[in-house]
Amino acid sequence: MSTKEVRKKLRIEDILNNNVWDVDYEAHIIVDTSKCAKCEYKPCVRLCPAECYTMVDDKVLFSYEGCLECGTCRIVCPEEAITWRYPPSGRGIHFRFS
Amino acid sequence: MDATSYRFDVVVVGAGPAGSSAAYTLAKRGFKVLLVERGRSPGAKNMFGGRVYVSPLKEIYPDFENKAPIHRWVTREKVSLVDGDNMTTLEYEARNSKSFTTYLTQLSGWMAKQAEEAGALLLNEITVDRLYMENGFVRGIVVGEEVLKADVVIDAEGINRLVLEKSGIVPRLKPSQVALGIKEVIKLSVEEINTNFGLEGNEGLAWILMGDVTKGVPGGAFIYTNRDSVSLGLVVYLEDAIYKVNKHISNYIEELRLHPLLNKYIKEGRIMEYSSHLIPEDIGSIMPPKPYYNGLLIAGDAAGFLLNLGYTYRGVDFAAYSGYLAAKAVEYGHDNGGYNEENLSIYKKYLEESFILKQLKKFKDVHSLMKKERLFELYPSLANHIARELFHIDYESPKILEAIKKAKEGRVGWFTLLRDLYEVSRKI
Repeated sequence: MSTKEVRKKLRIEDILNNNVWDVDYEAHIIVDTSKCAKCEYKPCVRLCPAECYTMVDDKVLFSYEGCLECGTCRIVCPEEAITWRYPPSGRGIHFRFS
Repeated sequence: MDATSYRFDVVVVGAGPAGSSAAYTLAKRGFKVLLVERGRSPGAKNMFGGRVYVSPLKEIYPDFENKAPIHRWVTREKVSLVDGDNMTTLEYEARNSKSFTTYLTQLSGWMAKQAEEAGALLLNEITVDRLYMENGFVRGIVVGEEVLKADVVIDAEGINRLVLEKSGIVPRLKPSQVALGIKEVIKLSVEEINTNFGLEGNEGLAWILMGDVTKGVPGGAFIYTNRDSVSLGLVVYLEDAIYKVNKHISNYIEELRLHPLLNKYIKEGRIMEYSSHLIPEDIGSIMPPKPYYNGLLIAGDAAGFLLNLGYTYRGVDFAAYSGYLAAKAVEYGHDNGGYNEENLSIYKKYLEESFILKQLKKFKDVHSLMKKERLFELYPSLANHIARELFHIDYESPKILEAIKKAKEGRVGWFTLLRDLYEVSRKI
């Protein structure tokens, strides 16, 4: 990436590219998306800092790979549709400069 | 050493500032301590704003200032009220300092190393599932199929406290109890930081911003200068963010970084890391009624020990010192015949006698204040209007009272203004 990147608006994918993960083969977050239809605000989509939750055709799609393990989604979900644990065996995000 | 066949005096969950200071203090006093960390190494899962107050840490670690991974000493404090492209700033500068900047990932690594050198056994990559109970006492931890036994457990697992929740000790966190912190760490050279921010040597800047920076969501923003990087972050109250954040939250921190009055300080930089973390806010409700049970003590974020006064955040010193006090409580239990609740209740007493509960009690109403819309929207705007009246002069300067009157016209009455001023001065 160019050194002048802080002068431009970046896509979340490009920002996240700077991080290091050791992604587990098994998801540490399980979302019962059948509960999402009746959720009006869908706060996970806007508030997950890593944008792990996205809307595709009115449906919430979820990927755990970029998770920063902050726990926000778990507690903002009004339907309690998110089952959340920490990745085992040192997997997941590996912060170095935070 | 095989941890499962060995009985420890103490198991500490989490090698963050609270867990590592507890493990260090106990190991130094001869206890057999197991410190478990879920990250690949201590610090890998840690994140904070950027500044640590040093006095409590100096009390725990001899020669802390010369040995710990300190980036810069905060000699300049700035608090800015932002309104669009205007900013009114209070600045304080001194030659000496009581706080420093660092990466918590590094500081946690260093603190865990002190615990190891004092004799504690550190095991990384251990995710604790729940507490192990025996006859109403916590007697160890459960990791997958295995039980690691100990006479007493110190839980310093952090804000999400899944272990305590699963063990039925605390309920699930609610959005009203926490804020969300998001941070970009931006790489610059030492020289660029010193030149851009007007610093010399290892002088550092702590800069808190309020007002327009959160686009109407209660919260604030911060900038800390590290040795050769800048930590730039945003804090939003989660309960309000649910309804008020109307696009993806990363846009908010992107706009903060691109703010014309801020971007000029970091324009040569590139992003090194992007992180997020929950921050205890409504401390009174997060704190377990008792931070101790039969065989268990709770320290750090897991117990809700963090102080946010709006113009400053204190988490790491509270965490480290609570770990230190938990260690002292374990020692007391050991010397007085066991780790039952009655003996371990000394921990509460230690906390009450220390700055931790004194400060949290003193500032217990600050949390309610932080959500007042006038405080983070109207008043920052008002301050900038007054400044503009006073400083943007064509021909005639107004008297100060005229400037205030003109700025507040149609926006807020004297009564409300004075009442808010009274409330702020009473609570903060």
